[in-house]
Amino acid sequence: MDLLAHFWTLFCGLFVITDAWITAGAWLAAGLTIFLFSFLYKDNPFFKTAEHLYLGAGMGWLLQVSFYSVLVPKVWEPLMRHQDWHDWLVLVPSLLGLSLLTQFVPKISWISRYGFTFLMGYGAGLAIPVGLSTDFISQISGTVQPLSMMASMTPLMIFNAFLVAFGVICVLFYFFFSVEHKGHMQKVSNTGIYFLMIYFGAAFGNTVMARFSLLYGRFDALYTFSSARYLYATQYILIGMVVYFAIHGFLTRDKKEPEAAQ
Amino acid sequence: MLKENLQKFFKIDRRWIFLLLAAMLFIPIMKPLGLPNKTISRDVQHSFDFMDKLPAGSFVLFSLDYDPSTRPELHPQAIAMIRHAFKKNLRVGVVTFIAGSTGLISEIFESVPKDYKKVNGTDYVVFPYMANPTAVMTQMASDIYGIYDKDEAGADSRTLPVMQGIKSYKDMSLVVEITGTAMLDYWVAYVGDKYHIPVIGGVTGISQPGYGPYLQKGQLRGLLGGMKGAAEYESLVKVPGKGTSGIDSLNLGHLLVLILISISNIILLIIKWL
Repeated sequence: MDLLAHFWTLFCGLFVITDAWITAGAWLAAGLTIFLFSFLYKDNPFFKTAEHLYLGAGMGWLLQVSFYSVLVPKVWEPLMRHQDWHDWLVLVPSLLGLSLLTQFVPKISWISRYGFTFLMGYGAGLAIPVGLSTDFISQISGTVQPLSMMASMTPLMIFNAFLVAFGVICVLFYFFFSVEHKGHMQKVSNTGIYFLMIYFGAAFGNTVMARFSLLYGRFDALYTFSSARYLYATQYILIGMVVYFAIHGFLTRDKKEPEAAQ
Repeated sequence: MLKENLQKFFKIDRRWIFLLLAAMLFIPIMKPLGLPNKTISRDVQHSFDFMDKLPAGSFVLFSLDYDPSTRPELHPQAIAMIRHAFKKNLRVGVVTFIAGSTGLISEIFESVPKDYKKVNGTDYVVFPYMANPTAVMTQMASDIYGIYDKDEAGADSRTLPVMQGIKSYKDMSLVVEITGTAMLDYWVAYVGDKYHIPVIGGVTGISQPGYGPYLQKGQLRGLLGGMKGAAEYESLVKVPGKGTSGIDSLNLGHLLVLILISISNIILLIIKWL
């Protein structure tokens, strides 16, 4: 037993955060980033490895956080404690949750309907009233309300209120298909398209900014990992990738030439 | 002849553009240009003003729901807003509904509180990850301890000094949601509108335009959008961080896109004219 405890202590000791672990982490982060970016040049096994690792690590992290933050304190501990009858109540949602897993066994998959029924009823009851209030009624009032307060508004605010109301009507009309879009109707519908295009333009501009920000974030990390503190992780991995592509290109050169000739 | 030469422009291997873009974003990281961030958008200013006017000791609930995939945009936002809250001596509570956030939250609270001499449990509390956000948000309206009876470190939440007098949303002054998901919609619908608690959002650049209606209606008190929003908030708090340092790269990147779009359109016009 002592031997087991000794080995366990040694094993746990491996995971104490030391400088060596931090450097290893930097190499891993820099490597995975460069492997994923390497797809921009062309598909390769390093990219595939990083892609699968990302998925696996993400699921692993989600599993352990869910286990230790939700399952243990919310289900396991109350059941083990069972100080009063309230503690047993966790069995009801737990069984409903477990019933969803019966989907994997066709013969008893009908049991999962109980869990799904609860989820659907609970979800719809919670979402429909707030959805109607927040995204529908509030937005209608938000469009119309400014028009009723013009006495206290500046000319610019009045123009803005009219513009918003006009835009909403035109865009809604564009999506109304029960009237043929001809003549004046077509003009209103086309104006709606312009409002939509302005929105798409704004969304595209923001998307470009967002993607550049993400790229900047990774480059910033790569620059950090390129320092002596991390044993020049970025440089070495980058050189390694270039060498790989050069060798791979050289070795597959003969295969490409007949293909090109064909 | 000229027409054919011009058409070659559209056949450039796109990997050259990737390389050019990479260079434009990487150069300012190695040698910062110090381009200023001179515009503060209205929605960021509103966010700052709202938090700035809260009396010391008010409780602000931060919901930090982003993972490493949106870290460059949202992490600086979260840091800037938490710095502001600490600067104003507000009490801070942190929740999360994204498992991938937990490591990033730990990273923030390992360093930021030290700068303001804030103590875990006394000035701030970090609650553990919780699944099913809508259920948690609804439960917190009646009794926060029904869900978060312990903090992340396992301490009894009820006994923490930072939680004194806090039982539900009505005891809180503000909810700040920073997310790369639709979680801000949930906070507005399930909490802000329903229990009349002010909500401020921090979102990715992609999601930002979609929140215009909530801002116009006042359902959101303010909004930070992407790295630009983070840089603006950092300017207001006067603590430059990763948002501000990213502005150089963003400016050069946007400049490159503008140049490429302009050149392409000019060439297309010339080809059409020829």
